[in-house]
Amino acid sequence: MSDSSRPFLLVLAHRFVPASSTLDADGERRFLGIIEEFLASRPALVRRQIGLFLGVLRWLPALRHGRPLDALPSADQDAALRRFQDHWFPLFRKGFWGVKTLVYMGYYGRPEAAESFRYRPSKSGNASLHA
Amino acid sequence: MREKEFDIVIVGSGAGGGTVAQELAPLCKDGVRIAVLEWGPKLREEEFTGREVEMANRLYFDGGGFLNRDRSMTFAFARAYGGSTVVYTGTSLTIRPETVNRWGVPGLFASDLVERSQKHLRSNNVHLLEPDKINDNNRLFHDACKKLGYMVEQFPINVKGCQGSGMCNLGCPNAAKQGTHRVQLPAAEAAGVTVVTNCKVERIDDHAVVATVANPPFGHASAWEAGEYRIQAKVVVVSAGAINSPALLLRSRLPARLPALGRYFTCHPALILVAQHDRQITNYNGHPKSYYCDQFTESKKFLLETCMYFPFVTAKNLAGFGEEHASLVTRMDTLQMILVLAIDAARRENRITIDGAGNPVIDYKLTPVVLDSLYESMKVCARIFFAAGAARVHAPAGRKFLIEASEQGKLDDLIVREELKPGKVSITSAHLMGGCRMGAGPETSVTDIWGQVHGVPWLFVADASLFPAAAEINPYITIMSLADRVAERIRTRAADLLRK
Repeated sequence: MSDSSRPFLLVLAHRFVPASSTLDADGERRFLGIIEEFLASRPALVRRQIGLFLGVLRWLPALRHGRPLDALPSADQDAALRRFQDHWFPLFRKGFWGVKTLVYMGYYGRPEAAESFRYRPSKSGNASLHA
Repeated sequence: MREKEFDIVIVGSGAGGGTVAQELAPLCKDGVRIAVLEWGPKLREEEFTGREVEMANRLYFDGGGFLNRDRSMTFAFARAYGGSTVVYTGTSLTIRPETVNRWGVPGLFASDLVERSQKHLRSNNVHLLEPDKINDNNRLFHDACKKLGYMVEQFPINVKGCQGSGMCNLGCPNAAKQGTHRVQLPAAEAAGVTVVTNCKVERIDDHAVVATVANPPFGHASAWEAGEYRIQAKVVVVSAGAINSPALLLRSRLPARLPALGRYFTCHPALILVAQHDRQITNYNGHPKSYYCDQFTESKKFLLETCMYFPFVTAKNLAGFGEEHASLVTRMDTLQMILVLAIDAARRENRITIDGAGNPVIDYKLTPVVLDSLYESMKVCARIFFAAGAARVHAPAGRKFLIEASEQGKLDDLIVREELKPGKVSITSAHLMGGCRMGAGPETSVTDIWGQVHGVPWLFVADASLFPAAAEINPYITIMSLADRVAERIRTRAADLLRK
């Protein structure tokens, strides 16, 4: 992942998962590390496509607002992201879904954070059924 | 390149390959040399950690997020000692006779598959879970279906000593699920079959396969040293699953014209639907999949099943983002889930191909018929969720992110077909079928009804790629039944096939 992609992914994370804005430096490293580990095992073409789409996500809103997505107020960022989500052009919707999925993987894929999602699995889960 | 020689080589160790290995294993005492070559690792017991992303990356191709060419769907399929039987929920349904009749393959009879299924149900310890081990997520679905007058049945499952970790899809951490890694493969190895893990078969040559062994940084090391191998074999059985079996045959130089190879791929396109209760329910503890509803299989072409997924998978399957999205995922203890499986038709244009490097590519288009089924299923599931007492429902094709219980009378207005946009709505698949379909002749099929590749008497296929069309249920017992037939054919022709 490029140096410019990392901070932009954090900007997106704050919009997709508002609680991600409270991550400390270690939490952010962990978040980005999960995504980078996943991408490292993907084909180079896929990594390039994701990098390219991150650029589209960042700069396409400049056509409407005159500034890239990360320089917009939060409400405008959300509105721009919703336009991608519902876009008439399927590739934009699919690319948006892919980036959103990476963010969710980095945030919700941290086992150490599971407690904060009220997710407390146990190898002996049956013991909890009638507690 | 190192040389090896066996009489029978089986490529893959899942429901198909594991079954063939066990069924042919008695030949070992007569000196027949059998090897199973499995791409994936054999994990140590302590490596089944239940950590979502870690296990997905270890066990699934592309971490469970394998995409089709047009990026409209993800496909979950595993590589491991035991193949995808390591990561399914153990649901063990016998195929319905009407489905086999619909397949319309001359000489393939439902009665034969049902009889073979019975054998595998017994050997895999398939039974109904005791009522006190069924959690709220499952019970609420059952009770709501009953309340609405929908047919609902309990899944027979293949567990032994299930502790209810709920982690079936990440590999059971309690060694309870009786997949081929617990039943068929150990039995085959005990009888003399060699199982080689971390071994990717690159291609099939004339009476031989070319493979590469490479150990990942987890699991047991392969029985063979890392490197390239050419393994001679009198018989080759391909059981690499509905994506990798066609891909392997496509990148091999086979002495036969097979125009149907890779085609007629089906996959039960799926939605994971989520509702929220205003109270905690038991959901991630306990076995995740106890009931199914086949009320709509014939009329609307979808099947409903209970399910419970993990935080990341749950998050990615919800449409939307932001606070409303987080309001569901951060309250995992209040969520009820239903898995929708669309019954998709076998279409010639839905196919597995390979790219320039020989890697599989899935060309699968979601048809309007399938999208209509998925759309209808959202409304049915919303009714089930509300009948179960849910406070709000997330319909991915909803006009709004959450539909409140007070709005349940307006489902037709609030869930709209136009919002079911591929890309926006997360559509997935875990039942991958076809691509090497069995049938009468090479124009429309790849193998005969015993799994032998048309025109190649020493080459067989034994896995879900044989399915001529969708199974319309969870397929693993049917895969075993078909693999059982393939093994029987090899046994009966052993004198001819294994002649020096």
